[in-house]
Amino acid sequence: MTSDATGSMPIGDYLARGGKLTSPENVPPRYRGELLRLMSSFVDSELAGSAGFADAINLAPGIRERIAASRITLEKADHAERVLDLMEDFGTDKALYNKAHDWAARVSRDTSVDPKRQGGDMRLSVFHYPLTGWTDAVVMNVLMGLATLFALEELSHCSYQPFADVLGDILPRERRHMELGLEGLERIAAREDGRAEARASIAYWMPRVALTFGPARSARFERLREMGLRHTDNETMRRAWRAEAEARLGALNLG
Amino acid sequence: MARFHPLEVTDIRKETRDAVVVTLKPREEDRAAFAFTQGQYLTFRREFDGDELRRSYSICTGLDEGCLKVGIKRVDGGAFSTWANEELKVGEVLDAMPPQGRFFTALEPDKARHYLGFAGGSGITPVLSIIKTVLSREPRSSFTLVYANRQVGSIMFREELEDLKNLHLGRFSVIHVLETEGQEIDLFSGRIDAGKLETLFRLWIDAESVDTAFICGPEPMMLTIAESLRSHGLTDRQIKFELFASSQPGRAKKRAVSEKSAAAGNSCEVSVTLDGATRTFRMPKDGTAILDAAIGNDIDAPYSCKSGVCSTCRARVLEGEVEMEINHALEDYEVRAGYVLSCQCIPLSDKVVLSYDE
Repeated sequence: MTSDATGSMPIGDYLARGGKLTSPENVPPRYRGELLRLMSSFVDSELAGSAGFADAINLAPGIRERIAASRITLEKADHAERVLDLMEDFGTDKALYNKAHDWAARVSRDTSVDPKRQGGDMRLSVFHYPLTGWTDAVVMNVLMGLATLFALEELSHCSYQPFADVLGDILPRERRHMELGLEGLERIAAREDGRAEARASIAYWMPRVALTFGPARSARFERLREMGLRHTDNETMRRAWRAEAEARLGALNLG
Repeated sequence: MARFHPLEVTDIRKETRDAVVVTLKPREEDRAAFAFTQGQYLTFRREFDGDELRRSYSICTGLDEGCLKVGIKRVDGGAFSTWANEELKVGEVLDAMPPQGRFFTALEPDKARHYLGFAGGSGITPVLSIIKTVLSREPRSSFTLVYANRQVGSIMFREELEDLKNLHLGRFSVIHVLETEGQEIDLFSGRIDAGKLETLFRLWIDAESVDTAFICGPEPMMLTIAESLRSHGLTDRQIKFELFASSQPGRAKKRAVSEKSAAAGNSCEVSVTLDGATRTFRMPKDGTAILDAAIGNDIDAPYSCKSGVCSTCRARVLEGEVEMEINHALEDYEVRAGYVLSCQCIPLSDKVVLSYDE
């Protein structure tokens, strides 16, 4: 790192050709805004997801499920902290950040939440809806877990290398959370009443998770793509997620 | 919040005609804050003609050297680097923030890894820190450095690299690439380009054996190298970049204030909350930014660029009316929520309540 180096190439060209940025010192202002937005959306979603799942621990029907729910609650908070540590490099006050919002707050189940950001925090809209019981929590965890894998895979190639690296570390653990959900769903789907309950939750969560990928045509995506922060468009990701979700649910006779 | 600490200059060594290596000593109570990781950098601040400049330079010492050194190459027109090269004296004190940066991989003493480093010019500084640390902390690992410079005379740390090579025979090798001076082999002359890298990977470096590659240098060089590494099978995660800090924008000079408005006694009462403490002072409504008035009243408000782009000085207006002159950093939703860039924030009402804590 050295300042005073005269940039031999415009940063936009550098990013367009796959260049990586490495620290707050070499991040241009607009890039910084978009990057901090991406990072805080991830942090807020993990914190809200963890806070929401904390209640599911006490809904768990058995000790294995209780451990799985505890682990998901713990690790999602840990993932939030890892990215918050990167934001701290940009001046974010970590202690104040955690206190800034009520991460467990939810709207009522039948409210229609605008997929655009709500209020002060940047959590994805799906994390504003409450869970109604164990089966509902498991279904939400599977569907949103799959969506999270697509989102993390996408961002783990982003042009801000510290963020990409942290997401690369987080990805296998998030995959495990989704698999824990699948294992739980398999047990639920083994019973007739369980299948009926699961189908009702799938009908509720499927469209809400689908919205988290953002609008099909998005000026923001184009902006992020130019900055090397995104590569695959929202609709392509949503389609890939839907196909995988349907295949997984079909395998459990829940299609 | 990152704070500045005084570092005493205990040695200055002329490294090349236009680069110095500065040895720095933190105060006893700051020692822990300046414990660094290989590949990190320090951000310094200093006033030049009344304007504060902040500049970042990589640490060039390894973890086991027991000291803190940075390499500063003089750049034409660079106020800080010219001053450091020409005027800085032993015994002077520099203000620096604790080490930052993530240009490193975790050390694992029992692993036998092969690292590959590419450095262009003063981009050697963080790479040198990594080389020395890896050689001492990972006794089974090896490091290959490809080091590009204009000419022999501009090679920073040339002797130190030679010594390292002799000290760690078989574990450390250097390939110098010189732009303007022909060497015995053509491969080592000229700029690093795709063709040269191809030859390098065919004849000298087995890309498959490389665990991690570190690149620090000018942007086009980094892109060419990264592209070549990818085509030889390295993944993004195996390639670590360190980009030079982008040159900071010029500072706005103090605005001309008409004597009339200054004499009008038009003033504002400002309350500023920082780290839980609230201070109140009066400031003139003459176009002075609230940040400057707060600093003038000995409030250690956070700020960096002072030009409305970095958002380090972001604060929230809880009461009163203000105007932001320039805003390149805050999103519309932040502005609607009452956030301002305090470096650009001019009071309009007679009372303003502002907080850095929200």
